[in-house]
Amino acid sequence: MIPFVINIVYFLLSLALLLAFIRLTRGPSLPDRVVALELIASIVVGFVGVHAIDTGISSLLDVAIVIALTAFLAAIGFARFLERGTQE
Amino acid sequence: MIGFFWNIMLALAWAALSGDFSGMNFVAGFFFGYLALMVLQRQVPVLKGYSRRLPRVVAFLVFFIKELVKANYRVAYDVATPVWYMKPGVIAFRLKARTDVEIMFLSSVISLTPGTLSLDVSDDKKVLFIHAMFLQDEEQLRQDLRELEHKILNILR
Amino acid sequence: MTDIIVSILLLAGAGFMLLAAVGIIRLPDLPTRMHASTKAGAMGAMFTMAGVAFFFADGVVLARAFAIVVFILITSPIAAHVIGRAGYFIGTPLWSGTIKDELRDNYDSQTHTLRSGYEDSPESVTLPPKPNPDKNP
Repeated sequence: MIPFVINIVYFLLSLALLLAFIRLTRGPSLPDRVVALELIASIVVGFVGVHAIDTGISSLLDVAIVIALTAFLAAIGFARFLERGTQE
Repeated sequence: MIGFFWNIMLALAWAALSGDFSGMNFVAGFFFGYLALMVLQRQVPVLKGYSRRLPRVVAFLVFFIKELVKANYRVAYDVATPVWYMKPGVIAFRLKARTDVEIMFLSSVISLTPGTLSLDVSDDKKVLFIHAMFLQDEEQLRQDLRELEHKILNILR
Repeated sequence: MTDIIVSILLLAGAGFMLLAAVGIIRLPDLPTRMHASTKAGAMGAMFTMAGVAFFFADGVVLARAFAIVVFILITSPIAAHVIGRAGYFIGTPLWSGTIKDELRDNYDSQTHTLRSGYEDSPESVTLPPKPNPDKNP
């Protein structure tokens, strides 16, 4: 049962990744693209979790931690960049 | 916070002394530690009010999860169906919370609930600007936010 | 039994992620897109991690999955607030269906200050004072 469900979940997550990627390329403004990047990071965290179940390697969760961390830092950095751009 | 830390320590001591680190035994240790701290809190100033605060935190968590599910359903419905029922807008919410920690906690909880997103605090920290997705009934929304703030202040103060 | 719980959690997580992605494509302006993406995305990641924790049912994995969930719970509102604020202040246009904006008038883009509109009133409490039975005057 689990392998079948995992295939469905992979499919749904890929679809979500594709939609987020469309917004990333099309987004009219820079903040839209940043939001899309955030979402892609969340989806990749989900991907890594599902892959950990699929392969049975629990160490993959460390990868998920690092991705969540860098996504947060990237969001903060982008926001600083955006706000400073308006002040000068 | 310090009370909670001591409660965890007491539960760990319980588990270690009874030699059984299973989840159920840990919960039992936590419960007995809670009782012990309830007796102690009159003598120790740091622990004051701990026994009243913990049930409030648990009640708040339950309330928050309920709100989360309700609001998520609403946003999901609007995203998934072709017709938009949303009336988005930015409202100014008058804060009763004073300190930075209270405002941070409140704005984080508001941001986590789907349908509301805290944008900014005014420079004198009196007003929180919130972007809301459903402004059909603004009074109702303000009342809900007021209730949420009241619950959070009950925990933190 | 465990299989069923794990399956439900994984499907719920993937469903939330897909919902966030559909929302980010369909919704009309930046703040509404953030409503969909940041919260549903975080919920999706949290459900998936809960599924992972149930599947392995091991102390170390449980602690790690719990750490990820707490981390997402702490960071996602901060990231949402920071991006939303930056996007608003650099003048991203709002959707034409937006019915109210109480922030625009209070913001001065030259000096970058944000007024509250209540500068003259000393305290923030607007409600009538509650009768307090504990303190007798």
